[in-house]
Amino acid sequence: MKPDRWLDCRVLVTVGTGGVGKTTIAAVLGLEAARAGKRVLVMTIDPARRLADALGTGPLDHEAREVPRERLRALGAPESGSLAALMLDTKRTFDELVLRLTPDPAARERIFANPIYRNLTDALAGSREYSATEKLLQVYTEGRYDLIVLDTPPAVHALDFLDAPRRLTGFLDGQVVKLLLHPAAVVGRASLRLFRSGSEFALRALERVTGLEFLTAISEFLLVFEQLLAGFGERAREVARLLRDPSCGFVLVAGPDFSQARRARSFWERLEAEGIHLVGLVLNRVHPWPGDGTPPVDDPVEAARAERWLSEALTAADRELDASACARALVGAARAQAALARRDTAVRSELERALPLEADALRAVPLFAEDVHALDGLMRIAGEIFAVRSDA
Amino acid sequence: MTGALAALLSRRLLLVTGKGGTGKTSIAAALGVAAAREGVRTVVVELGSSDALAELLSEPDAGAPRAPAREPVPVAENLFRLRLEPERALEEYLELQLHVRLFARAIVGNAAFHAFLDAAPGWRELITLGKLWHLVSLEDRAGQPRWPLLVVDAPATGHGLSLLSAPAVVIDAVRMGPLRRNTDRVQALVTDAARTLVLPVTLPEELPVKETLELRARVRELGVGLGPLIANGVEPELALPDAERALACAARLPKGVAPSPLAEPQVVVAAARHRLTRNRLQREFLETLARETGQPPFELPWLACGVDGPEGVRALSAELRGALA
Repeated sequence: MKPDRWLDCRVLVTVGTGGVGKTTIAAVLGLEAARAGKRVLVMTIDPARRLADALGTGPLDHEAREVPRERLRALGAPESGSLAALMLDTKRTFDELVLRLTPDPAARERIFANPIYRNLTDALAGSREYSATEKLLQVYTEGRYDLIVLDTPPAVHALDFLDAPRRLTGFLDGQVVKLLLHPAAVVGRASLRLFRSGSEFALRALERVTGLEFLTAISEFLLVFEQLLAGFGERAREVARLLRDPSCGFVLVAGPDFSQARRARSFWERLEAEGIHLVGLVLNRVHPWPGDGTPPVDDPVEAARAERWLSEALTAADRELDASACARALVGAARAQAALARRDTAVRSELERALPLEADALRAVPLFAEDVHALDGLMRIAGEIFAVRSDA
Repeated sequence: MTGALAALLSRRLLLVTGKGGTGKTSIAAALGVAAAREGVRTVVVELGSSDALAELLSEPDAGAPRAPAREPVPVAENLFRLRLEPERALEEYLELQLHVRLFARAIVGNAAFHAFLDAAPGWRELITLGKLWHLVSLEDRAGQPRWPLLVVDAPATGHGLSLLSAPAVVIDAVRMGPLRRNTDRVQALVTDAARTLVLPVTLPEELPVKETLELRARVRELGVGLGPLIANGVEPELALPDAERALACAARLPKGVAPSPLAEPQVVVAAARHRLTRNRLQREFLETLARETGQPPFELPWLACGVDGPEGVRALSAELRGALA
């Protein structure tokens, strides 16, 4: 799919391994959609402060912060276009969920006071993924935005992110949970010898390992959560549907090295198998070749010839330069750049071969020497990604 | 052997962590190779289902079993590799605790219990630490540690912290019982800086530097010892004397007459400018790290060949030994 068509989605999710620039690409997609006249929200997990500064939103937090209109207008966004950003806050998302789904104030207080709840919400893995999907659904349902761009945690855990809704629904349907929800089954030792089900047997064995107190604590936790979790289970199913809806597109972001290309491939296959709609791939931080044509194949003889010629040319042009040292450094830099540009081209071909990409669905973004956070940097990246258009 | 490397190798458990993309897996592998070379029997531990370490440590045609094993698998003299999967570790733990395989099987094989485990947060971190504790405490017949050093390719920053904070959650929620006793032991190991250190790996770039500094603060709050900071991917300085004048001069040279694209004015000027900008930025971030942590980080060079196999790991390991000497 051509990049401008990506923006027709209602939800765009950027995925990829850590350190490839997912957050930046998410911001670029949001900015471009706003320039196309859409009302956009970018949800990030990454507290990139300079990105927030560049967007002019001020520090990001759990509430959506608008990019000042005049900034967007200056970048060519029409009156209808708007851009807001928020940073996911696990604890706050869970607290909001409790407030919404638990009408009884006393029950709420019990939840907020429960030690497992207090720790679960930010200390433990997985809760970030749960809260990301929950917040996505909440914002989506409110319908205030034409497009939501969701920046996900790094790849291995982004799969957790996809699994989170299903895991929760499986969890809630599970027999062990049902047994735990009725503490008599756990605490009441009367039925100890009567294993009515495999689950009960498993639970008894587990009790021997963890101790009774732990199971009781979990049981209490689940009891106060029963109502909350029931609501959550339904929402988890809704999120699972939303993520697989044709209006939800995933953009894979990868860096240009072979191990990442391999990972991108297995990630792609996994997403396809999940019924996810992949709309495109951004190959980020590709080394550009500043010369005409393709970068030359490495050849020490040619490098030596280049160095000799450059040294003589520099001597002729400026007698005070240490021409041979300069020529060595300059040709060395060109040679290193050529090697990187060749490797990046090879990675790109490998990705094109390995992935069933539609024409122009793979967009390469060059590496800029400076870290890109400022708005003009985002605009430069947007220029690279959206250089091909479906109406052209 | 002296200096920072010796100090590291006297520990029992080294947790290598950092933002994704900083090369922590390569550095965990390289540290393992360096330790083994110093005669320390070392296990490099990989968490979860990735095979990255196997690719880095084993020759491609070695035919070594890549499936998760219970025991560390030898890969070289004094060097072992272990892929630690929480599900497998849980089964082992249940067996140890229940003394009866049948019970453990009953739990692990139960579908409903699986659904419970899939959703229950935290147990993966806990069982992972438990298995590491178990490996650290195993002794041979002479009463010597069976695995004197574990180097763990720990999860990237955020999830790495969940790993370290998991015991505190149990300690907060549970006051007694076998789970609490075992968790206390794990916590005692993790918070003992004489045995356990966290090694943050970063790149001299803005976001990794920021995240690393936050990580250090959080690790301190958790009462866990911090090892030296490693800055990976430091690019070599471009030795261009009188740089601005040389670039101005090169830019004025005629186009299209050089005998090679490697001497074309536009190519050499663009390539050199790129490098000089990168050099300046990296220097600034290394200075930030030195200022914020009170000592300069150990620098590892950017390796042009990349690190995607045993050869790259050996090269990185040599650099690591040099940097930590």
